[in-house]
Parts: sequence; structure tokens; C-alpha cells
Amino acid sequence: MSSKPARRPGELVFALLVLIFGLAAFWQAYEISGFSGLTTPGIFPMLAAGMMVIASLFILADTAQRNAPDVSRGSVPASFLREIMPLRHAIVIGLILLYLIALPLLGFVVSSGLFLLAAFQYLWRKNPLVTAVLAAGSLGAIYLVFRVVFQVVLPRGTWLGGLI
Amino acid sequence: MLEALGNFSIVWLDPWLLFLTAAGTLAGIYIGAIPGLSVTMATSILISFTFKWQVNEALALIAGVFMGGVYGGSRTAILLNIPGAPSAIATALEGYPLAKRGEAGEAIGLTTVMSVLGGFVGILALALFAPVISEFALLFNSRDYLLLGLIGILLVGTLSGESFAKGAFAGALGVLIGMVGLDPMTAEGRFTFGTITLMGGIPYVAAMIGFFGVAEALVQLHTLDLAAVKQRIDRIVPRLSDIKRYFGLAMRASGIGTIIGALPGTGGDIAALLAYDHAKRSTKNPERPFGEGCKEGLVAPEAANNAAVGGAFIPMLTLGIPGDAVTAVIIGALFIHGLKPGPLLLTETPHLFWFTVGSLTLANICLLIFGLTGIKVFTRIVECPKAILIPLIIVLSAVGTYAIQNNPVDIYWMLLFGVVGYFMKTYGFQVGPVILGVILGPMMDANYRRAMIGARGDIGTFLWDFVSHPISLILTIGFLTMLLSQTPIWSFTRARLRKQDA
Repeated sequence: MSSKPARRPGELVFALLVLIFGLAAFWQAYEISGFSGLTTPGIFPMLAAGMMVIASLFILADTAQRNAPDVSRGSVPASFLREIMPLRHAIVIGLILLYLIALPLLGFVVSSGLFLLAAFQYLWRKNPLVTAVLAAGSLGAIYLVFRVVFQVVLPRGTWLGGLI
Repeated sequence: MLEALGNFSIVWLDPWLLFLTAAGTLAGIYIGAIPGLSVTMATSILISFTFKWQVNEALALIAGVFMGGVYGGSRTAILLNIPGAPSAIATALEGYPLAKRGEAGEAIGLTTVMSVLGGFVGILALALFAPVISEFALLFNSRDYLLLGLIGILLVGTLSGESFAKGAFAGALGVLIGMVGLDPMTAEGRFTFGTITLMGGIPYVAAMIGFFGVAEALVQLHTLDLAAVKQRIDRIVPRLSDIKRYFGLAMRASGIGTIIGALPGTGGDIAALLAYDHAKRSTKNPERPFGEGCKEGLVAPEAANNAAVGGAFIPMLTLGIPGDAVTAVIIGALFIHGLKPGPLLLTETPHLFWFTVGSLTLANICLLIFGLTGIKVFTRIVECPKAILIPLIIVLSAVGTYAIQNNPVDIYWMLLFGVVGYFMKTYGFQVGPVILGVILGPMMDANYRRAMIGARGDIGTFLWDFVSHPISLILTIGFLTMLLSQTPIWSFTRARLRKQDA
């Protein structure tokens, strides 16, 4: 089908993963109560997972029919890394992961401060002093609005003795 | 009646609630206007912060954010040609050409007034029709709710995204996520893999924030370097003659908006596009052609998308079926507050209904005030670089998720959903149906089993019930038509019919 847009890099793999996930979900749903009755807890999960399997078969067929991604600017894995998961995304996701790990350990204030500092610095690329002021300012604003005005309990760090 | 009026005015008389609604509207305008921040994202983050509050406070704030957010998208559409929200896509088509002529201020003023008018039509419809519908909804059987849930997910799945299969997959995935945990009927574990962590289920706020907040932030990373354009603003309050001239069109567009908003699964974005189309068809001699700054094309979508807000509340408050993604999130909020949206909501907690109507009305008036003021400050804030915005969204998402149960596991779920959501969005899947599935899944499961038990576990009786009761029959026909319209048979038959005509 030439009228349809070409596949995005990695789309075929994603469609396959979607199918595998659907099948795994169906297997797990079957494990709940099997085909023992029509009102068992497992029947609706099985219907949903079955729907996923059928839909993903259609998606896979459709994706496979479309033209292969444009490889003039490098191989498929290379264009996947360029268009879908560039270094910037990988670094930001890595930063988020570090942030989430640090959150229960260092507490909201310290970990968010560090995350904002790192993320602003990486994405905005301005003078570190400007970044630091901005991170401190926005952190202060978030803290004021959510902790002081809305009385939300913010995570406290176990490492810092629950002080902040 | 007097009681209704009393509940209607709660929000007007309590200074704190008044402040919350006003603040929500103001915040909503900015959230809606900043590309990359969506109303859905904002409400899902907000809900985690407000769940410890009184219901009234949370509802007042959310009503404001919803009203303001739907309108706010139009401002960036006019000033920067970037629709701040999907509901402002049509607005950008006419608004930006006006801004290029230096008439941005006038365009903003006109959209504000028309949005407010549309908002009132939607609210009026909510106040008038919701009580009627909810009384009617009491006649609904469990299988009817199952059908309504299916239709809701199907509609969201078909109207958005690249293909029906992708929408259906997303909806089913959501249902599956909603199933995790102990089965409410038999207390058997489902998808728990024997761990205690999963027995309580996956908190849907984590799913909402992940799919709408983090995933969207990751998508926005691609357009980090897009520079903002500067704009000049002069005249803001619109001419009375203009308002008079477009009043009729605004009313018709509001009607469209209310109905589209009330249909489960369709919200302001579709309402706006349909109203734009209506304006295009019904305007014979526009002052300027469509696409070059035609005011008719600006008025219609803006009146319609705000009318859709009131409309979207109708199925949510009466049937427990969200009218769009934002109301899906609001349903989540009501559940957190121990309320059950559905036909009994109006009889069990009538004050809540009139309170909602009251706060929406108030939010609409706030919209008029804020919409016509503060545009200079506004342009500055909208120019905020995404490099600053994205980290802030992530911090808010993390804290928002953590705040639900003070459970660090939830934030890992949130991040996982965020990354999965990013890939889904990139490959043309919509995340809206996922959230709808998460929220409607357990309801559909329970209703399916109730209906099956009612049919004594006999599949023949079960299926016969779908066609032998009038309400079920209508819903079944609707469901099947929608399903068939997505298959090749439909286009084949249509092509044949057209051939016969010719």
C-alpha cells in the first residue's frame, strides 16, 4: 500500500511487542479461572486480553503492509535512535529514573532541587548561576503552593532523618 | 427548587470556594494556553493534590480549571498559531490570520465573549436535562451499562488516533490495567503474580499522570527548540455590533457543542471541528473567506468547545460515563471522594449536582473577567521555554503521584506508564482510551457478570436480553453500527449505494 505513510523506525518491532504483550496478558488472564464458567473473575480479563490480541494482529498486519522506513539516512536502528529515542530522551528518562530513586531517600526538597537543576541545565544550557536561581525559585514556588497553601504531604527523605 | 438554589449558590457565598473557582479558572486559562500543558494533564495532577480536601473545594477548583483550560487553548492558537489544546485547532485556522493583521486583541475579545456564551448554553443544558436523563437512567439494566461503557471506549478509540485497531487495543489495555488487583466480587487476585503490592490494584491516578503528564512531556521534548513568536495586542473588548451579529451562529454552535459534549467519548475537540464545519456551510457571504481570518470561523468553534464542557458533565453525572478525557479524570476524583457517579448521584447527593452547576456558572463568569484582562502578562508567560516547562511537569507529576498514597511504588508505575505512553503516542496509538478503559473497566466487568448471573449463566438468554429490551436494543444497535462502520464492509456497502444513486 503506497498511499499509507511509511513505517516509523521501530514500529514493526513495537507492533510485535504489542502482540506478545497481548498474548502474555491472555495467558495470565486464563490462569485466573480458566474456562470454568461464564461469571468467573477471569472471564472479563480474558475478553479484554482477547481483544488486545485481535487488535494487535490487525495492527501488525497493517504495519507490515506499509513501506519500510526510509533508510536513506542510516539503518533502521540508527534512525530509531535519531527520531524516536534520541540521546536527549534517553538522558531525560535517565534523570527521571534517578530522581524517582532519590525521592524516597533524599526527600522531596533535595531530590527535586537536584533534578530541576540537572534538567534545566541540560535542556536549557544557560549560565549555571541562572539555572540555580531558576531551580530554587520554582522549587520554592511549588513548595509554597503545595505544602503551605494546599497542605499536601511531600515525601521526606529517610537518609536525612526525615528533616526535609 | 429552593434547595437547589441554595446548593447552587454555595460556591458564590463562601469566599474560599469563590477564590478557588476563580483561581482555578485563571490557572486553567494559562494551562490551556501553554502548548504542552493540557487540561487533562492539569486535572489529573490536581486531583492527586485535592483528594484530601472537601469534595466541594476540589470540585470548585476542577470546574474552574476545566472551563478556563478549554478556553485558554484559543489564545495561543490566535497569538502563536499553536493550538494550546486540541479543542483550539479550528480556532487557529481563523485566529492566527487575524493576529497576522494585528487584530489579535479583537480576536481574543470576541472569542472570550463567545466562549462564555457557549459555556452558559452548556451549563443550562446540564441543569435542565441531567435530572431528566438520570431519572431515565434508573431504567437502565446492568447490560445497558456494559454497552454504554463499550460505546464510550469505542467512540474515543475511533474518533482519535490512526486506526480503529489501535484505539481498540488502547481501550482493552486500559480495561486490563483496571482489572489488576483483588476481584471485588470474589476477592480472588487478578494479575497480581502473588505479590502483595499488586493486590490493591494499580492506582489510576498513577496511570493518568503517567499517560497524560510524563508521556506528553517526553513527546514535547522533540520540539524543544521551537522558538516562540512575539505578538502585539491592542483592542480587546469586542464591539457590541460584532457580538450581535454572531449571536445566532454562536447559539447554533453551542447547541452542537452541548450535544457532542454529552455524547460519551466525544469532547470539545470534535465539537469545535463540527461547529467550524457548520459555520463554513451556513455562512453564505463571509466578510473574509474562511482560512484568512473569518470571524464566523472563530466564533463557532470557540462557542462550541465551551458549550461541550457543560455537555460533558451530563453523562458523567447521570450515567457515570465520562463525556471526554477530562470528565473521565473527574470521575476518578469523585470515586476518590467516595461518591459514585451514576443515576443515583442526583437522588443521593442532589447538593453535589447543583453545586457543580453553580461552580461551572461561576467559573464561566470568571472566564469573562480574566479573558478580557491580563493579556500582556499572558503573552510573556506563554513564551516560557519548554526546557523549563518539561522538568517542572515531571516534578509535579512525581509529587502528584506520590501524594495519592504516599507510596513510592506508585511513582515507578507512573514512570513506566509515561515511557509506554510515549512509545504509544509515537506509533500512533491514543492514550485517551487507555484511561477510559482503566476507569470504566471495573464497572463493565461488574455489570457484565451481573447481567450474566441475571441470565443464569446461559449465553443464549444473555444475548437474547440484549435485543429483547427496548433500551438494550437501541444501545446494541448503536454499538453494532459503530463497530460495523469501522470495518471494510461499511465502506463497501456505501460505495455500492453511491453507485446505485448515480
